Amino acid sequence: MKNIIRILRTEKGWSQAELADRLDVSRQSVNAIETGKYDPSLPLAFAIARLFGRGIEDIFDDGLEATEAAE
Amino acid sequence: MTQTRGFRTANRRYKFLFWPMMAAYVAIILGAKFLIDEDTAPVWLNAACAIAATLPLGIVLYAIRRQTDETDEYTRLRYLKALRDAGLITAAITFLVGFLQIFDVLGSVDVFWFGPLFFFAFGISRLTNCFGATV
Repeated sequence: MKNIIRILRTEKGWSQAELADRLDVSRQSVNAIETGKYDPSLPLAFAIARLFGRGIEDIFDDGLEATEAAE
Repeated sequence: MTQTRGFRTANRRYKFLFWPMMAAYVAIILGAKFLIDEDTAPVWLNAACAIAATLPLGIVLYAIRRQTDETDEYTRLRYLKALRDAGLITAAITFLVGFLQIFDVLGSVDVFWFGPLFFFAFGISRLTNCFGATV
């Protein structure tokens, strides 16, 4: 699943370790989520959205809307 | 399942058990080695030493279990994958050694070594995970 966490994090001037601290997860978790290797659970996705003051759908994109629009 | 407590708390609680137990384990092993003569000591004393050395390891195993319950979801996934790989590697090598013994290719092997083998395999699997090969 694609997401804009890296962009939002950079805007805030946070390192991956700093974001990991704020979410109370490991730095590897943040890296895996940012690179799309791992999709977070709903509670973690909500925590990320809350931290950046955005909606979940603003941050994560499963690509289905684009597929549906193309159809 | 225990409630997730977050990466930092889970790590702190793990270390809180791990390091004292490892210190106790080393102290018990060294104490047993230098203070007891295995050949002349009564069986109950040898058995007591064996149980005393196993107890801290058992508590460390409990700490590993608790940490996988309490840490964040991605770390839990990585740990569980590493534990799975370690279990499979240990089982495969156990079967191999067992069959080699059944077919009289290999002599007796101390069962003790399958424990360190498991943790060695766990460490290798964790390293593999760190480099992003499996997760």
